[in-house]
Amino acid sequence: MLVAEWLFEILSEEIPSRMQEAAQEQLKSLAETELQAEGLGFETIRTFVTPRRLTLVVEGLPLKTPERVEEKKGPRVGAPVQAIEGFLKTAGVSREACDILDTPKGQFLSVTIKQSGQLTESILSKMALSLLEKFRWPKSMRWGSSPITWVRPLRGLLCVFNGKVVSFSYAGIESSNTTQGHRFLAPTPFEVQNFKDYKKKLRDHFVILDWQERRQIVQAGVAKVAGELTPLKDESLLDEVTGLVEWPVPLKGKVDEHFMNLPLEVITTPMRVHQRYFPLMDNQGKLAPYFGVVANVEAPDQGKTIVIGNERVLRARLADAQFFWEQDQKQPLEHFNVSLKTRLFHQHLGSVFAKVERLVKLSTQMAERGGADPKIVGRAALLSKADLASQMVNEFPEVQGIMGRYYAQNQKENAEVARALEEQYWPKASGGKTPDTLPSLILAMADRLDTLVGFFAIGITPTGSKDPFALRRAGLGLIALALNPRFTLSMLEALGWAYECYPWNEFAIPQLKNKEETLADLWKFLLERFKFFLRDVQGSPYDHVDAVLSVANQNPNLFDLSLRVKALDQLMDGEDGKNLLVAYKRASNILKIEEDKDKCIYEGQVKEELFDLDEESELFKNLSQKLPEIEDFVKKGEFVKAVQDLATLRSVIDRFFDKVVVNTEDKNKRVNRLHLLAYFRRTLHQVADFSKIEG
Amino acid sequence: MKVDFQTVILKLQEFWSQKGCVILQPYDAEVGAGTFHPATTLKALGPKPWRAAYVQPSRRPGDGRYGENPNRLYRHHQYQVLLKPSPGDIQDVYLDSLRYIGLDPILHDVRFVEDDWESPTLGAAGLGWEVWAGGQEVTQFTYFQQVGGFPCEPVSVELTYGLERLIMTLQGIENVYDLAWNDPVGPSPMTYGDVAQQMEREFSAFSFEHLDAPIVFRHFEDAESMCNQLITNKLVLPAYEYCLKASHLFNLLDARGALSVTERANYIGRVRALAHACCTLWMENACG
Repeated sequence: MLVAEWLFEILSEEIPSRMQEAAQEQLKSLAETELQAEGLGFETIRTFVTPRRLTLVVEGLPLKTPERVEEKKGPRVGAPVQAIEGFLKTAGVSREACDILDTPKGQFLSVTIKQSGQLTESILSKMALSLLEKFRWPKSMRWGSSPITWVRPLRGLLCVFNGKVVSFSYAGIESSNTTQGHRFLAPTPFEVQNFKDYKKKLRDHFVILDWQERRQIVQAGVAKVAGELTPLKDESLLDEVTGLVEWPVPLKGKVDEHFMNLPLEVITTPMRVHQRYFPLMDNQGKLAPYFGVVANVEAPDQGKTIVIGNERVLRARLADAQFFWEQDQKQPLEHFNVSLKTRLFHQHLGSVFAKVERLVKLSTQMAERGGADPKIVGRAALLSKADLASQMVNEFPEVQGIMGRYYAQNQKENAEVARALEEQYWPKASGGKTPDTLPSLILAMADRLDTLVGFFAIGITPTGSKDPFALRRAGLGLIALALNPRFTLSMLEALGWAYECYPWNEFAIPQLKNKEETLADLWKFLLERFKFFLRDVQGSPYDHVDAVLSVANQNPNLFDLSLRVKALDQLMDGEDGKNLLVAYKRASNILKIEEDKDKCIYEGQVKEELFDLDEESELFKNLSQKLPEIEDFVKKGEFVKAVQDLATLRSVIDRFFDKVVVNTEDKNKRVNRLHLLAYFRRTLHQVADFSKIEG
Repeated sequence: MKVDFQTVILKLQEFWSQKGCVILQPYDAEVGAGTFHPATTLKALGPKPWRAAYVQPSRRPGDGRYGENPNRLYRHHQYQVLLKPSPGDIQDVYLDSLRYIGLDPILHDVRFVEDDWESPTLGAAGLGWEVWAGGQEVTQFTYFQQVGGFPCEPVSVELTYGLERLIMTLQGIENVYDLAWNDPVGPSPMTYGDVAQQMEREFSAFSFEHLDAPIVFRHFEDAESMCNQLITNKLVLPAYEYCLKASHLFNLLDARGALSVTERANYIGRVRALAHACCTLWMENACG
């Protein structure tokens, strides 16, 4: 069969960098779906994105779709005239064209409809339209007088199949076989035959089509201009810059030496965040007075003007930073707390200063529990939000916490206090580092506990895509912190403390939830997130996670729970665990059947005097010895030992089932044996609800 | 090519005049940005085509630095262009305007970097970019999607050139007060400092130290109630002027630090209500 290639380019005004990668993915999956729906087979499908174009290329498409034969069954031969006519009309045939179909149920009309193959070209002209209509940008806009929306105004539609234009029009633009290269370096439009031709001509017109290739050029190019220096590793900056250029040209600029006394973050934040420059480090890992900048053009003066311009902009930004650095330190850090009194945390939850006061209380309480110095923790809490009122953080919000640390250090605050001011915001992203020192860890937890409890109490919880106060992130952060073994605690208890730190009667909130309700909602929310963590990050099977979390309320300590799941994973990996589970299922099945039958729960005292067989007393003796031991291990968080103990029960329970008939004639003995099985079940439940485990 | 401050303005006037714009004068009341000029805010609403360009001195009391900061000003100048509906080749036309004033997009690595614009006080929002020249933001380029809470149909495009930054880039200088305002080799050369530094010093002192907050609060109340009365009388342009006054008075109070966070939100809400009422009246009268 003859096959051909489809090339479709959507040319627009500049697409925001952050949206480009996802757009490329979306176009690919939309096109795949559409092609499948049309029954169009293909060999490969690829998509590309640059700041101005989104491109699709599909190879190995047939020139036309295969002929389709369809048999349509109609009404009975003797059916009413209207029914027959209706059928003939929808099928578009005359009565003579119908066959008679003999079936056991009688004779029916039937018709064979042959649909001849469609030209792929005509399918593609509809499909191109459909792709444009179905595509969804995170944010899109209208322009001119058209109601059509796109991420930015559309400027061209190149659509070529098998070397010829697939014609259609959209948003007032006629499809064609022409496109444009680089906006400044080669603005004249040119014609394109196929993808190979397209890609090559784009390169001749100063456009690197492939995002990965551009990224590679940016990365290698910055490293090259850096010479002996090393660009600071920053993947997201690399991604962003890749989406800002079609023709990356890395250049090197200089930072004025006299700014180099400023803290590292104060210099690199305007560089990275505002100017998209790459900070360069010397071979001792110190910031060097240079930066890498990626231009989008090859300038006739080799980029001299560009470098001078960028150096000037950076100088102005750093001059501001220098000014803020000096101004901010004219007063003690603590004095900034005054302006936190007029800064709202949330309309119903008081000012940021009120939050600070709660944090002092809550974190001191946690410090006393966790063996940290309450004075240090309390001091850190008191200063925790002060830098939010500094001029530097006002101008560069990214350095919150970091400025707190610098200002505290310079004002000779305790080193752990200073450190906590920065580390309270850790982990910064999911999977990020959690603090290593107790005061930092406690303050970080207290901050999130206070936020989550406050919002949940006033009924603000994340729903669907709406989470304006980033409570999901706060929840995930809290879980990550709770898994740091340096400080573990009962989460329910800590949530309770946080609730009690709020002066609720001062706020007068109409629909305030009480403590029980708030904690129940929040605990459920946290367990959902925690479940996700255990499965996707720790990699435990979901049934093990469910089995352990079913008993989570008994010991709501996330660190312990994660260890318990790990121990269960280990047990179920071996033969003992698998056999124990078989025995457990057997025991609980018997119990369930008998409990249903007798409409009661067999959780009673086992009576040794009713034992007939050695296997019964052996099981009982073992359980009586192991249960308290296991309870003790669980309490101490020694789950590996607890499951090892469980594993020893395997042979005993196996022998029991070999020899003992539970449903014996003697009523008292039967009940006693059921109680013994319940005792076995209870012992296993110390570790996890085994009924949730799949065997 | 001459790139002194006033020549660049004259050239922009010439360029946009050739593109069919009416060349207007600055609005003669204090505003924070060229967008507030009724030739933009109100004219962007409604179906009638419109093209206008003008310089707008823009007051940002909070940015005053007593004439001492090389980049920040109490009052800066914007060159504002509004085209309704937005033309299909507007990016190219805009780039031509840069070439016309002597800024070579290749030499300066001109770039369109995502920056969506929003004015909570005007109930206005748009999508577009900040335009960079050598890493400096020289223009805000916005396709208006809504103004005063009303969708813009058709869509206008707004180009706001930050004149000081743009011309500093052209002249290659570091300090705004060193900008050549007129021909530096002409008979009476003047710098930006000669023309504007005293104003910067005095207005910074005014807004940070000598502004009498109770008086300004009162003025705000007066402007607000006048605006409301004028709306009742269906006089949209005078009403809008008092809305602008209220907005500027709010900026003064904000710079003075006279508003707590809650009060601040409340005052923004009051200005927005006035702006919305003016836009509603404009739409009802089918003025656009």
